Amino acid sequence: MKKNILITLIRRILKALDGVKSFRDFIISIFVSFKSLQYLRFRSLYSIAINQTKFTGVDAMSIIIVIALLLGGTVIIQATRNFPKFGIEEFIGNLLVIIIARELGPLATAMIVVSRSGSAIAAEIATQKQQKEIHALELMGIDTTLYIVFPRILATVISIFSLIIIFDLVAFFGGYIISLSTVFIPLDIFFASLLDAFSINDFIITIIKSLLYGTLIPLICCYYGFKPNSDFEIPIYVSKAVVRTLLILFVINAIVSALFYF
Amino acid sequence: MKLEKNELRVAIFILIPAALLLVFVLLKLGYSIASSTIDIYLKVDNISSIKKGTQVKIKGYTVGRVVEIIPVYRPALHFLAVMRLQREIQLYENCTAVIQNQNIIGDPVIELRNPERIGIALQNGAVIEGIELVNLEVVLQDIHILLNTLSGTASVIRDISTESKGNLRNLLGNLSSTASTFSAMMSTSQHDIVETLKSFKKTAKTMDEISVELKKHPVKFLFK
Repeated sequence: MKKNILITLIRRILKALDGVKSFRDFIISIFVSFKSLQYLRFRSLYSIAINQTKFTGVDAMSIIIVIALLLGGTVIIQATRNFPKFGIEEFIGNLLVIIIARELGPLATAMIVVSRSGSAIAAEIATQKQQKEIHALELMGIDTTLYIVFPRILATVISIFSLIIIFDLVAFFGGYIISLSTVFIPLDIFFASLLDAFSINDFIITIIKSLLYGTLIPLICCYYGFKPNSDFEIPIYVSKAVVRTLLILFVINAIVSALFYF
Repeated sequence: MKLEKNELRVAIFILIPAALLLVFVLLKLGYSIASSTIDIYLKVDNISSIKKGTQVKIKGYTVGRVVEIIPVYRPALHFLAVMRLQREIQLYENCTAVIQNQNIIGDPVIELRNPERIGIALQNGAVIEGIELVNLEVVLQDIHILLNTLSGTASVIRDISTESKGNLRNLLGNLSSTASTFSAMMSTSQHDIVETLKSFKKTAKTMDEISVELKKHPVKFLFK
């Protein structure tokens, strides 16, 4: 019994190590593929990046705005209910910055992008692979790693950066509107307290998180998109792509927060 | 055409958040898209002490001026003096504005004092109340009252001194009469003392004679 558990554990560790090695090779192949950048037309990469940014960023705005409003409102409802008990109702701005701008905003945005665009990227690439479209591109002499992965990384970095800012602003606005129903805070005072609560570190961390998330989400999803060897494996790898990307996002978020705020 | 529309959407999607972030960072770094001054309103009951151009100071350093005085009719007539101050000056809620004179003949100034416990920063358009009102007119009135009091005090002292002079003279007269009475008494008593001493001497002589008689004939003396 114990032997079986040990064997399973070792097998899993080896599998995970194998996966890490395979992912490392995939990243190296992307770097190597930059050599063939000169053979690609800028216009082709540009149009993919634009379409991907539209899908990942512009089209996700509506859902981001709704979620941000609800989340900002929820945080403020809790704050306005509980802060007066401690006599700290003037710290609503600080709470919004700490909860939304530092943690919830980037993480919620990344989760929406993973569940919406990450799964789409993995499914799209897997389908293209099964329909031999990738093979056809390779036959035409196009470096598929560069042609498929690079514009998606670029688009996701830009999209996540803009979406985080939109998410934060809408959450602040939603929070402010909700707070008006319970306690009147003049807009200029609210804005001033918000500005006071922000530090330059918060801006730097937002940029770092958007770079990290924007790079990791398409990278992991593309990696799993290239994996399926049959049509039946597509949903398995799409699911793996979403779950593992989410797991890595939480780990990265914890590491970045610990590095900057601990 | 479709791509161009997408490009425009993507461009707006990228540029607006980036611009908003830039504005936020600039505001955080202390840059201002507004002017370099802010207007703070000072609520005063009367405007005899301040006028357009009155200096506003913090710790003696000029930070702005009164640029306008606006009358407010409700609920009771009062005035709002618009103080245009440098934006860099940090003022906080519950700061006090003391309207005072620089010296006895100087122009009035508004001295702003931040509270000991720093709160929320004062924003453009905030209203603060002038808590003390000292103008030249009031100072002159105070001096007038002081001089009147001084004059009254001097007349009282003069009256006291005049009355004292008469009293002193009376005292000296009384003292002189007392001295003469004492002298007369002394001269009268001198004669009486001599007589008394003579009488004492006579009594002593009689007593002496009695004692001699007693020694000689004690029984006879007793039954005599």
